[in-house]
Amino acid sequence: MQQRSVNPVVAAIGWLVMAFLMAPIVIVIGAAVSDTTYLAFPPQGFSLRWFGNVLQQRSFMASFQTSMQVAISATSIALAIGLFAAYGLARFGKTIPAWFGSVFLLPLFVPEIVFGFSLLKTVIVSLELPVTTALIVGHTIICLPYMVRVISASLSSFDFSIEEAAVSLGMHPIKVFLTIVLPNIRSGVIAAVVLAFITSLNDVAVSLFLTGPGVSTLPIEVFTYVEQFFDPSVAAVSVLLMGVTIIVMALVERTLGLGKAVK
Amino acid sequence: MQSNAVSLNDIVAHYGNSQVLHGLNMSVADGELVSLLGSSGCGKTTTLRLLAGFIRPSSGSIALSGRDVTGLPPYRRGIGIVFQNYALFPHLTVAQNVGFGLKQRQVAEPERGKRVAAMLERVGLSSFADRYPSALSGGQRQRVALARALVIDPPLLMLDEPLSNLDAKLRVDMRSEIRELQRANKRTAIYVTHDQEEAFSISDRVAIMDAGRIVQLDAPETLFTRPVNAFVARFVGFENLVPMIVVERDGDRVICEAAGGVRTTLSLAATGPVGDRFVIGARPEGLAIGAPSNSTIPGTIGVRTYLGRTYQYRIDTPAGPLVANGPFSQPLQQGEAVGIGFLADQCCILPMENN
Amino acid sequence: MGADTITRTNRVTALAPWLLVLPATMAVFALLAVPVGSTLAESFSNPLGVFENYRRFFASDYNRMVVLRSFWIAFATTAIALAAGFFAAYLIAGSGPRTKRILILLSVFPLLTGVVVRSFGWMVILGRNGILNNALIELGLINAPLSLLFNQGAVLVGMVYLFLPLMILSLVGVLETIDQDLYSAAESLGSSPFGVFRQVTFPLALPGMVVGSILVFTGSLATFVTPRLLGGERQMTLATLLHEKAIISFDWEAANTIATIMIVLTALSLVALGMLAKRLSPKGRA
Repeated sequence: MQQRSVNPVVAAIGWLVMAFLMAPIVIVIGAAVSDTTYLAFPPQGFSLRWFGNVLQQRSFMASFQTSMQVAISATSIALAIGLFAAYGLARFGKTIPAWFGSVFLLPLFVPEIVFGFSLLKTVIVSLELPVTTALIVGHTIICLPYMVRVISASLSSFDFSIEEAAVSLGMHPIKVFLTIVLPNIRSGVIAAVVLAFITSLNDVAVSLFLTGPGVSTLPIEVFTYVEQFFDPSVAAVSVLLMGVTIIVMALVERTLGLGKAVK
Repeated sequence: MQSNAVSLNDIVAHYGNSQVLHGLNMSVADGELVSLLGSSGCGKTTTLRLLAGFIRPSSGSIALSGRDVTGLPPYRRGIGIVFQNYALFPHLTVAQNVGFGLKQRQVAEPERGKRVAAMLERVGLSSFADRYPSALSGGQRQRVALARALVIDPPLLMLDEPLSNLDAKLRVDMRSEIRELQRANKRTAIYVTHDQEEAFSISDRVAIMDAGRIVQLDAPETLFTRPVNAFVARFVGFENLVPMIVVERDGDRVICEAAGGVRTTLSLAATGPVGDRFVIGARPEGLAIGAPSNSTIPGTIGVRTYLGRTYQYRIDTPAGPLVANGPFSQPLQQGEAVGIGFLADQCCILPMENN
Repeated sequence: MGADTITRTNRVTALAPWLLVLPATMAVFALLAVPVGSTLAESFSNPLGVFENYRRFFASDYNRMVVLRSFWIAFATTAIALAAGFFAAYLIAGSGPRTKRILILLSVFPLLTGVVVRSFGWMVILGRNGILNNALIELGLINAPLSLLFNQGAVLVGMVYLFLPLMILSLVGVLETIDQDLYSAAESLGSSPFGVFRQVTFPLALPGMVVGSILVFTGSLATFVTPRLLGGERQMTLATLLHEKAIISFDWEAANTIATIMIVLTALSLVALGMLAKRLSPKGRA
C-alpha cells in the first residue's frame, strides 16, 4: 500500500552510484559539443563541427554502413531461425526436452573473444568467406540467444488453445501462426529484435577477428581510432551511437517497458 | 494519567497530501480486545500502522501503558503484530520464525528454545518446528504468525485482518482460538477487520470507523441496539431509516408524522416534545405488517423474497420504500394494501442529520 | 490417397518439432560448437604431450601473472559492483513508481550503449589531458598531469562501470519480490534497521546477488575492450593476451591455450558460484 522510506544515508549513496553511472555519458556528450580541438569538459563554447567532421570522414561513414548492413542481416537471420526454434520449444515441450533450450544460450557462455577467434580459425579461413559474410555469420550466432530467450519468454504466457480454436474453425496452421500466434507475441519479438540489433551494432570482441582490409564495423573503427587519436570526433561518434540507442530504447519502452525486455 | 494500555490523542495523519485520519481519539483498557471495524480506506490499517510505529502522525500523541511512544521507532515499541498475509520469514523455519523476536531481545539459547517450544505447544505446532513456512497450510501459517507475535510477551497485540486469507470454517475456529489465547493471558489486543460478524463475536468493544474518524466505540450489544447515527445504524442492519416529527404526545404514546403526511403512533419515551425531529431506525424484522389502520403507515406490497422461515417484502409507502419481514405461514401478494407499525423495543432513535 | 496420406501426415507431424528447431541447432553446432570445440582440442594436441602447451604457457611468469590479474580483476569488479549495486538497488526498489521508472531507464541506458563508447568516457575522464587532470591542475593541486590511465585502478573503474547496471538490475529484481510486510514484521519484533538488513533483506536477496555475481564475474573475465583501452600493454588480461597472440604475433597455439583457459575458468566459476548459491540459498522455498 504505502512505500517504505529508504534510509537517507543509503539513499544518498544510491544516488552517488547513479551519478557514477551517468557521469561518463554526460561528459562524452559535453565533450562532443565543445568548440575545442581537444576533449574538454565542461564544454568550452558550443559547436557541432565535430559532428560535421565525423560525417565527412569516409572511414566512419563506410564502417557505419557496414555495421548497419551486418546488424540488419544478422538480426533477420537470427529472427528467422530463432523464432522457429522458440516456437518449437514452447509448442512441443512434450517432445523436445527442456534442456534443449539451453543449447541456444550457449553463445552467452562462451567468451566472445574465444568465439571470434575460433570462428576465424575454422569456418572463415577454410571457406574463405568475404568479410561482410563472415561478420554476418558471427553476429547471427551472438544474436541468437536473445531471440530464443526473449521470444520463448513471451510464448510461455501464450495460450496455445486459441491456436487449436483457430484450426478447429478451419484456418490453415501456417495462416494461424501468422495471424494468431505472431500478433500475440508481437512485443516479445520486437524486444528480441531490438536487443539483437543493439548487440550486433555494439559488438567488438567478435568483429575484431572478422574484419578485414578495407571493411570494418563502426565500433571497430572507433576502437582503432581511439587507440591512435584523442580528439572530440570520437565523442561525436559516441553521441551519434547513443542517439541510435535512445531511439531504439524509446521503441521498446513504448511497446512493452524496458524492465521486462532486459531481464 | 489513566492506566489505559493504549491511548491515541487527537491523531492526524497524512499519506502524501491526502489526510487519512482526522483527529482520532481512542483508549483501550488493560486486557481489553478492541476491534477497528470499517470498509477499506476508512483509516483502520493506518491506525494500526501508527500504533506500530511504521508511520508517524502529523500531530497528536500515542501512549502505551501511560508512556508516550509517539517518537519511538517500531523496533523499540515491543508490540506483537499478526499481519494480514502473515509475513512469515520464508528463509527461516517455524521455530526460527517464532524465536526471531526473542533473538532480538537477546534471550539466550536454552531459554529461547524452551519458550519457543512452549509457544508452539500452545498453538499445536510442536511437530512442525523444523518445517519452512512454504510447507504449511494457511491455518498453520496463521498459528505461526500468532505464536511469533505472542512469544515476545507484548504489552499490546495487534491483528491486521488476520483471518481474511482463510476459508470460512477455519475462520470461525481460529476466531475462538485467538480469543482464548488473548483471554488466557489478559492480553490487550487491537483487532482490525472489515467483517462485522467477526468483530462483534470476538471483541469487548468495537470501534466503527468511517472516513478517518471513529464514529462509535462501544460494546457490540450497545452498537447493535443503540447506534449513534445513521452510518452506524445502517452498518448494523437498520435498513429502514425514516425521518419523523412529533406532532402529539401523551405520556409514552407519541404520534409522529413522516414524509408524505402519513402518521403513526409509537410508544417511545426517548423522543422529545412536540415539534421534535428525529429519525427512527428499524431492521426488517423490527417492522410489523398488519391490516391498514390509522396508527400505522399505509403501504402496498412490492417484490417478495423468500429468506427461509420468513418472507421479506419491499413495501411502497408515502414515506418512501420500506423493507419488512412477514411470517412464512401467511404469504402476502404483490399489490396488497397493508399497514406498517414499528416494534418500539427493536427500533432505534437517531438525531436528525443535516444532510 | 487415404491411408497413405495419413501416414505421411503423421510422419510430418512427428518430425515437425525437430524441423522447427533444426536450423538454429545446426547454426549453433556448426558455427559455435565445432569451431570452439576444435580450439579446445587443438590446445591439447601438441605432439610432445597432451599438456605440453599448458606447461609452456604456465612456465612463463608473465603469463601466470596475466591469469592471476584477470582473476583478481573479475573478483574485485564483482565485489565492488555488489556493494555499490546494493545501495542503488535499495534506492530504486524503495522509490515511488515514477522515480523508479526513471532510475531503471538510467541503469539500462549504459547497458545498451557500446563498450567502446563507455570505455572511451573513462579515457576522457582519466587521460593525460583528461578532465580529472585538468581540474586538478586548475585547482593547483598538482603541477604536471598524473598518469591515471593504463593501470589496474583504471581497468577496475572501467569494469565496474561496465557491469554495475547488470548487478543493479539483478538486485532490483530480487528486492522487489520481497514482501514489504516482512520488514515491518522484523521491526515490530525488535530488529534495528541494520538488523532488518542482516536478517531479512540480505538472506532473501541472495539469489539475486548470485545471479548478478555470475553475470559480472564471467563477463569481466571475458571482456576485451575495457582492459585494452584503459589498461593497455601494461595491464594485459587473458582476453587482451589472446587477441595479441592471435592477431599480432600469430601464435595460434598459445591463443588456443588461452582460449581454453578462459573457457575452463568461466565454467569453473559458474560451477563454484552455483554451488555457493546452493549452500547459501534460503531453504524451504518452493
